[in-house]
Amino acid sequence: MNCHVGNMVCLSQRSQAKFRMILAILILIAVELVHPTVSCKNETCSQLLRHSLRLTRLMSKRTTELLETYKTSQDFADLICDMQMDNVPVSTVSGQTISQRILSVYTHLKEFLPHMKTVMEQQKDLNPPTNPVAEGLNRMITHVRHIAVRVNCILEILQPNIPIPEPAESPTGIPHAQNIFQQKAYGCIVLTRLQELLSQAVQEQKSLKKGKMCRKSTKNGS
Amino acid sequence: MGSSHHLLVFLMFLHYAVGFTYNCVKILPDSSSSIVVEVGKNFTATCHLLEGCAYTSDDIEWRLGNLSIAKQSYHRINETAVSVTINISSDMSDWLKCTAPKESLSYKPRSIYGIFLRAGYPPLKPKNLSCIAVQEDKDISPNLNCSWDPGSRNPLIDTTYTVYANVLGTVLTHKADCKQHLARFCIVNLETFPIHMVLKVWVEVKNALGSERSELQNDSSYFAKPNPPLNVQVLTEDKFPTSLVVTWKHPIDRTILKLSYAIRYRKVTSNVWIEVPESFTRGYIESFRLQSLEPYTQYVVQMRCIGESNSSYWSNWSPSVTERTTEAKPASAPDLWRIIRPTSNSRNVTLIWKAPVKANGKIRFYNLSINQNNEKFESHNITADNLSQMYSMELPAGKMASIEITAYNSAGESPKATLSIPRSDKELPGVKDMSWSVRDEKLQVKWTAVLPLPHPLKLSEYLLEWVKIPQSVHQKELPAGWQRVPKNVTVTTLNAGLEKFKRYNISVYPIYKYQPGHVWHFQPGRPVTRPAYVQQGPPKEGPTVTVTKSKKNSAELTWEETPLDSHQGFIIHYTIFYAIGNTKQWKSETVGPNVHSYVLTDLASETDYVVYVMASTEAGSVKGTDCTFKTMKYGDGEVEVIVVVVCLSFLFLTVFIIMICLRKREVIKKLLWPQVPDPSDSSIAHWSPDFPIKADLPKEDVSVVEVDVFDGKSLCEEDKGVLPLKKDKYLSEEHSSGIGGSSCMSSPRHSVSDSDEGDSGQTTSSTVQYSTVLGSGYKGQTPSHQPPAFARSESTQPLLDCEEHPDHLNESQSRSSYFRRGRELEPGVLAPECDGGSLTFCPVQEEEPSPVAEEPPASALCYMPQKSGYRPQ
Repeated sequence: MNCHVGNMVCLSQRSQAKFRMILAILILIAVELVHPTVSCKNETCSQLLRHSLRLTRLMSKRTTELLETYKTSQDFADLICDMQMDNVPVSTVSGQTISQRILSVYTHLKEFLPHMKTVMEQQKDLNPPTNPVAEGLNRMITHVRHIAVRVNCILEILQPNIPIPEPAESPTGIPHAQNIFQQKAYGCIVLTRLQELLSQAVQEQKSLKKGKMCRKSTKNGS
Repeated sequence: MGSSHHLLVFLMFLHYAVGFTYNCVKILPDSSSSIVVEVGKNFTATCHLLEGCAYTSDDIEWRLGNLSIAKQSYHRINETAVSVTINISSDMSDWLKCTAPKESLSYKPRSIYGIFLRAGYPPLKPKNLSCIAVQEDKDISPNLNCSWDPGSRNPLIDTTYTVYANVLGTVLTHKADCKQHLARFCIVNLETFPIHMVLKVWVEVKNALGSERSELQNDSSYFAKPNPPLNVQVLTEDKFPTSLVVTWKHPIDRTILKLSYAIRYRKVTSNVWIEVPESFTRGYIESFRLQSLEPYTQYVVQMRCIGESNSSYWSNWSPSVTERTTEAKPASAPDLWRIIRPTSNSRNVTLIWKAPVKANGKIRFYNLSINQNNEKFESHNITADNLSQMYSMELPAGKMASIEITAYNSAGESPKATLSIPRSDKELPGVKDMSWSVRDEKLQVKWTAVLPLPHPLKLSEYLLEWVKIPQSVHQKELPAGWQRVPKNVTVTTLNAGLEKFKRYNISVYPIYKYQPGHVWHFQPGRPVTRPAYVQQGPPKEGPTVTVTKSKKNSAELTWEETPLDSHQGFIIHYTIFYAIGNTKQWKSETVGPNVHSYVLTDLASETDYVVYVMASTEAGSVKGTDCTFKTMKYGDGEVEVIVVVVCLSFLFLTVFIIMICLRKREVIKKLLWPQVPDPSDSSIAHWSPDFPIKADLPKEDVSVVEVDVFDGKSLCEEDKGVLPLKKDKYLSEEHSSGIGGSSCMSSPRHSVSDSDEGDSGQTTSSTVQYSTVLGSGYKGQTPSHQPPAFARSESTQPLLDCEEHPDHLNESQSRSSYFRRGRELEPGVLAPECDGGSLTFCPVQEEEPSPVAEEPPASALCYMPQKSGYRPQ
């Protein structure tokens, strides 16, 4: 009798604990899913655009500085950084409308992230442990990801009813069996193209600012 | 022995093991660890009897720790279950036990089951969460330093604090566990500080009783704290004496954090900062001009920055930068004053001045212009040296003077200061009354306002002057300090740094102004002066007392006033302390501060006294040096009285004696000059066995006549040449005490009277009687044939060779009278003479020996009968 009562109590407690855990996980998933949207709503359009522009401008500047540092440390000529290499995303922003071009920026930013990671890893292997390029690249990756978040929010404002395609952070497609020269050339090309992309991103956002995007969206939104 | 011992131990272990393994009660809820219960809440536990247990629910007893729980808290559920409900308090972390008592006569131990309760509180929500990421180099540090207020309640149970940070839009959440108990801060590493992103930070506090969290969500810049502006510089500009240009560099790139700046400044001499309105420095600027500053003034400048629109934390203030504005021409006139000291037939005027209050630069020199009786008298350029900001001149009493002074610096000249000094007999009225008091260690001066004067004189202001007394001989100091106050003020506090314990003469002057032409003239009125101390102290030294007059019962003390510098306050009185010698029984007399001499009375005569004088101020007293004096034995006039009395007494005595002598002169005469029997009247005069009585015998006294019976030649004649110097003496003696006479003072016993038979008995041991037989006449009375006679001399003098004066000797020759000393007689010669009954005399045998007694033996001498009688003198 006593044991029976005890089992009942134990069972009820365990089931409640499981339910709570599942509920918490579901809520967490739901929150995570809506997270970008939530983040975009914390700022006004103009704030968002201003911050995004500043961040993009800052990263463009930082990329330029990092590229200079890279070239100096690798003893590279500009010519090598401009040569053609497959599998490295292009920096060209495509699209007819501003939304398409912003989407192109967003897509390219996402495409660059795995390449930047690869370059960082290669740089860590090449010049351990205090490699200024690797350290700069690490910060750059974070900031590029943040730019992507900002651009995503801009896209949400520009085309709120169209879902934003998320490009998968697929592998770079660059074979691991690269020699050192190839690695250095690869890194330089990635940074060069990234710098070009960010410059174009700045321009696109400037055009957004000039285009009274926030005024229109405010009207739409309201 | 060993095996039995091991068996016993095994059985004990078995018994113990069985006792703990056999249990027929159980508590629900149960836990392998402690059960955390919340303080203040009720907790219910149920004790179940297991199947096969011989106890009933009535046997169940609940205990918390070692204390039984009251039965009222029990709730009997059924035959095998009893619950208990207890209200948890913070000190209830203990074992909750359910026991069933041991059955009587049973081998079974009692059943017991316990759960450990741990009392605690659920966590409080952290308050005031704030997170800061400081600037590092040219970026913001990824280390986010968060702090919060955990509350003051101790949860009593293990509680964890965790800080989370998430950049909105990203899935990565950074986390930091705070290890401290009741953690107040924690650092979470973001790896890369998010720029221009929205950052959410929250702190979560958890324990077994619950969890709480506080969160922050803002643009990441709000978490950033930039460095102060870089390379802050302050620049001066010529011809702009009221402005300074501040330049700086941005500490961080505007793409990271666009900053706005704040500037504050203050004078070096002030502690009050003046902040430039933020609206003036809102832009992203790197320079700013501070305006409306004072010329030639040192300013301290600091800067800080903040994200535009206050989108970050303020940076710290930059290090101070000090710069001085350039010079401008003086904006105010020098402060001119004068000190007038009247001399015999003139006035010594010392002009003193202070640099303009608004000098606006370094004063290079002063131009001093003096007019006497409206005529230009002299003008000087005086170098602006703090040591020589004064000028002395003589101004006759009958003249007035007008003084003007202007100060110059590198930028120009100051306005003119003027001061008029009227003729001595033309002084304007002063204030009626003035008093002072000390307040907050400063002098507060109060005076009565002056009455309005007729046109054109107007009261301009009052001037308070202070002069240290005695004046310092230090040349560098101005002889006086002064302070001007508006004309409507009659009470003010002197802002001078007056020294403690120093005397100052405080004067109040009304300053009148009039405008004879275009320029205002200022003329002071008569001053009212009072001595004052900002703080009094006991005198530095006491007065030195001296005793100027010491009498029998009083003494006059005098002391000089100590130097004014050593007073250190107003002397309110002097106290004279005096005591006898070392008795320490001090008496005191108190006299006023202006008294510097005092007469102590009621003193004991001929006594040593110690006296000192103590000077007193309201702050204390100091004694002077001791002085010792002795009172006199006699008072004034006592000695004189005694002397006069003694003299008078002596005088009276003398007069009395003289009168007695006069009245009793006959008696005295008889006593002193006993009547000598007149030989002429003697019956013996008529008796002459060998010689007839001659009628022409001299009536004068016949002294001594010696008759040389040997060879008719006197022994004195033999000695005349030997003793010439003794003649006078002998002669005087003869005159003073001739045989048959005596002075008033002579002792009667020295009187010789052979005729008086009683006189023979007056011979004493100390007296040698000499007798001389007169063998010649007296005083020229040379008898042709004189009978042998003798006279007796009584003297204390040893018999000299000869007592006869030479004149007398000559005379004696003529008179044939001689003195002869008996001792000079040769015994060999005398003895037969005496034996033979010669006329020479022999000393009487004396009872006691004497020097004279060494003379020839008395037995050889004898008195010879007088052959010729005495004659009255």
